[in-house]
Amino acid sequence: MTQPGVQDVEGLLRRLAPQVLGVLVRRYGQFDACEDAVQEALLAAFGQWQNDGIPEHPRSWLVAVATRRLIDEIRADRARRAREDAVTDPEDRYEPGPDEPETSEHDDTLTLLVLCCHPALTPASQIALTLRAVGGLTTAQVASAFLVPERAMAQRISRAKRMIKASGMRFELPPEGDRAERLRAVRHVMYLMFNEGYTASAGSQLQRVELAEEAIRLTRTLHRLAPADGETAGLLALMLLTHARRAARVSANGSLILLAEQDRSLWDQRAITEGLALVEHALASAAIGPYQLQAAIAAVHSEASSAEATDWHQILVLYGLLERIAPNPVFTLNRAVAIAMVHGPLAGLAELAKAEGDERLAGHHRIEAVRAHMLELAGDRSGAAAAYRAAAQLTTSLPERRYLEARAAVM
Amino acid sequence: MKYMLLIYDNADTRELFFGPEGKALGEEIEALMAELAASGELVGGEALADPAQTRSIRVRNDVPVVTDGPLAEAKEHFGGYLIVDCDSAERATEIAARWPNARFAAMEVRPIMSSGGGQDL
Repeated sequence: MTQPGVQDVEGLLRRLAPQVLGVLVRRYGQFDACEDAVQEALLAAFGQWQNDGIPEHPRSWLVAVATRRLIDEIRADRARRAREDAVTDPEDRYEPGPDEPETSEHDDTLTLLVLCCHPALTPASQIALTLRAVGGLTTAQVASAFLVPERAMAQRISRAKRMIKASGMRFELPPEGDRAERLRAVRHVMYLMFNEGYTASAGSQLQRVELAEEAIRLTRTLHRLAPADGETAGLLALMLLTHARRAARVSANGSLILLAEQDRSLWDQRAITEGLALVEHALASAAIGPYQLQAAIAAVHSEASSAEATDWHQILVLYGLLERIAPNPVFTLNRAVAIAMVHGPLAGLAELAKAEGDERLAGHHRIEAVRAHMLELAGDRSGAAAAYRAAAQLTTSLPERRYLEARAAVM
Repeated sequence: MKYMLLIYDNADTRELFFGPEGKALGEEIEALMAELAASGELVGGEALADPAQTRSIRVRNDVPVVTDGPLAEAKEHFGGYLIVDCDSAERATEIAARWPNARFAAMEVRPIMSSGGGQDL
């Protein structure tokens, strides 16, 4: 065996993590204990495989080690409770062998995703648990991705697992009737995870797990498991088309570069090609939904060779559709921007007044930032400066604050 | 979203917290801290020693000028902080309202700046 690289080992472990967890939970139940045991097995493998090479049957290796940890834990637990009554020992049921056929792998991973994204959990818990149980990340990695102490993240994860246990959720796919709703919850968690990574990646000096890339990886998995689902394809397309701009979003000194000013030659063409194909196929073959429409809007930007060449008429039509099928103040705000680009800044400002009334956007810096931009386009420089300053006070992002202060200064 | 909860004292709160009634208040604080630790919302926090030990430093013309005591004489002074990572400003406010100092002096809740870039404007 040749010595594998750290990334090879980590990549393999993270792919195998949900499969191994699926095997254990189906055999022994106890999602929470199994999940701990798999984590320990992953950590053991991470150290050992780098030195000794990857075993011939890595999945079986992990299942065997995780099962051993689970047994140890059950025994210790039993001793702790000084309980004598015999439970079937997992050891009696497990016979290690070559990697078993992975026929159930798909169902297991989907079941795990649905379980970790259960609507009873808070979004923060859903994301944390998904990253650990399905993404195969360690608690320390999840904690560093959110810049919180490992202890706090460990608490969130174990609390989420306790809730799953207490609610009596079973390790099986939800009945057909509930499945669409539960898949929708999984997509929402992926979307939040991506946004967290996307907004956090700029200018951060810290070594962090790339949350946006992890969200793409998991959404890709979900798309593979539910290929006919148009909204999952739409979400994956939206992520790819947005992530394709990452190199152009931040300047060398860490400041933000807006879409209109980005160097489009830095956009990742491979991601764009894949995203475009996904969204075209989804729109042509599946029921239309908000992720597909957002991806279609991102696609219009991707297809423009310059900011000036952007087809704002099409974007306006798409935002109109979006507002109709999924009313949301953020879409209203974005639609106001599209109106300003098509019909001029005064029409945009009139539309903005409507979005302002929505209390979900109250105090949000984006309203002021959009107003500032429209006033700037309308030639009202002092009004624009005041709105840029108001937006600067409201944002909690350092690069955004710098950008907005700089705009206010040049007005 | 991370928030700093700034804990304020006034002339009486230190005596109150370290006096005979302080035990119950201390237990109240410990219970709240344990709850926040268990929920995974607690990021960190510290209590500050008595404001009498404050030094204020200003550098003028490259010369540090050090004075004893806080910058401004005020009825309320900064006594410690808590950092929480929670779902909303409402939740952070709720935590602040349960901290005993809110009843005797005051608490402030302030969002923490992130180095992230936010969304495309």
